[in-house]
Amino acid sequence: MPFKHTARVFRTAVLAVLGLVWLLPVYLLLVNAAKSPATFTTKESWLPTDFALFGNIAEALRLSGLAESAASTLLYAVVSPAIAVLVGAAAGFAIVALRLRHGFAWFVAIFGGTVFPLQMILLPLFDAYSRTGLFDTQAGMIIVYTAISIPFSAFVMRNFFSGIAHSVFEAAVIDGASTWRIFARVYLPMASSALVAIFILQATFIWNDFLLGLVLSQSDTVRPIVTSLAGMQSTYGGAQMSTVLAGGLLVSLPTVVLFLFTQKFFARGLALGQY
Amino acid sequence: MSDTTPNPRARRRREPYRRPALGFIAPGVLLVAVLLYLPLVWTTFLSLTEYNGLGDPEWIGLENYVEMFDDPGFVGSVLNTLLWVAGTLLVPVGIGLGVALLTWNLKGGTWLRLPFLIPYALSGIGVGVIWSFILSGDGALDQALAAFGVDDTPRWLVDAPLNTVVMILATAWQGVGVNALLFTIGLQSIPREPLEAARMDGANGLRLFRSILWPMLRPLTAVVVGLSIVASLKTFDIVQGMTKGGPGRDSETLALTMYKETFVNSEYGLGSAIAVFLTVVTLLASILYLRQQLSSKHGV
Repeated sequence: MPFKHTARVFRTAVLAVLGLVWLLPVYLLLVNAAKSPATFTTKESWLPTDFALFGNIAEALRLSGLAESAASTLLYAVVSPAIAVLVGAAAGFAIVALRLRHGFAWFVAIFGGTVFPLQMILLPLFDAYSRTGLFDTQAGMIIVYTAISIPFSAFVMRNFFSGIAHSVFEAAVIDGASTWRIFARVYLPMASSALVAIFILQATFIWNDFLLGLVLSQSDTVRPIVTSLAGMQSTYGGAQMSTVLAGGLLVSLPTVVLFLFTQKFFARGLALGQY
Repeated sequence: MSDTTPNPRARRRREPYRRPALGFIAPGVLLVAVLLYLPLVWTTFLSLTEYNGLGDPEWIGLENYVEMFDDPGFVGSVLNTLLWVAGTLLVPVGIGLGVALLTWNLKGGTWLRLPFLIPYALSGIGVGVIWSFILSGDGALDQALAAFGVDDTPRWLVDAPLNTVVMILATAWQGVGVNALLFTIGLQSIPREPLEAARMDGANGLRLFRSILWPMLRPLTAVVVGLSIVASLKTFDIVQGMTKGGPGRDSETLALTMYKETFVNSEYGLGSAIAVFLTVVTLLASILYLRQQLSSKHGV
């Protein structure tokens, strides 16, 4: 049908043009992050001049302690979701497989931790962290990131375990396995895809966190990378813009690449309420 | 003994794994209780006190809430936040739906969707760094406009409420892809039969959308709209990154006002009251989508 064909060409054309517009900021970021501070000017942004991207990235890592931040943030983004995934799975296991009484109420109690804004916990956390010596420590950051990752993790794991027939559990009991063994050897391996999905989503969330890092840390070695980038932007945004842009690129690359390769996980998680 | 009398053994039979179950659920409950609920209660309490971090909080009842609504800066912040809610519904959700519909059943659709997805996983600060650069005076946007003969450009990040509008557009740049992805999943899950039937009846374009697609996308739309409202109410990173709420307090959002009152002005009571206000509004908006979400059959 000619009409259908025209419609397809039209749709493709609209999407292609819009897509190019969407890529313009990415283009500008790449071109300007690659300009050496000597040739960079805010008045000529659209054309590339030279290629000093790696020099700029090295400089960005030096400024504002971005290198130390990167190492710490990697630690937070791996350890916290890993713990949260296991804690969430254990909660789901207790509710679904062990049929904990009032299981739904317990579930709502855990899941409810995610429905209010972070603003509601910032000040008491800051206060308590200052008093207990957790302020500006890596342990403090890991603890808070773990806690805020648990509700979503428990939510997904409860859903997932609900899909496993209870006879699986009963069969394992008859085989003489302990509850711990059933959890670790039967339920966790079956849930690996869900565990990975939660892990990826929470790792991205933690990598991109700004607010908790802003309130609960101050030194270069503890401060998460996005908070460091914000500091770098306010300090050097005027004089060394190309370096700041290179820093922005560096900070953004891991999550963007991770996301593009794991879109399906994200899409499912998103429909469940992680935005 | 009759069957209706509860005794320990019967209870044990009904709930044979009580002890291990409590052990399995305890870490999650404890962490959430100590790090999320306890602070929540403390903030609520502080909102009823006068406190600056030194000495003890002094009970003043609802005074912080009265003071809050008397402050024109706070009212401006509420209005900006509403602008964020409306803007992020209109632009990223709207364009996202558009992109999903355009790529639906289109050859190469996955690739055509890719440019919109690239910005999604950026942090708010990352988006802010890029767009501050583009929107700065004589920056990339002004240069492009000058090439078309437009020289008298506004100060994008200075003039209010234009600064909020351009920040919403920057957020839209980031958010369109993910909404498109969600709507695409929704479209793919629509059963074929009613679609074929409607097509046989000659439904096309707008009519097909109105009569079949839109009603079938309704549950998903509720989730996307709810998520978008809740996320926009909490807007903080990008504003802090691009304007710090300025100039003056012109582009502040509720989350920013709370942050400033608490951590810049050390008005702990007032800051807590703003946090409580933000939470109440967010919870009301959450009900919109939580109802849908908790009864949904999506699973990972």
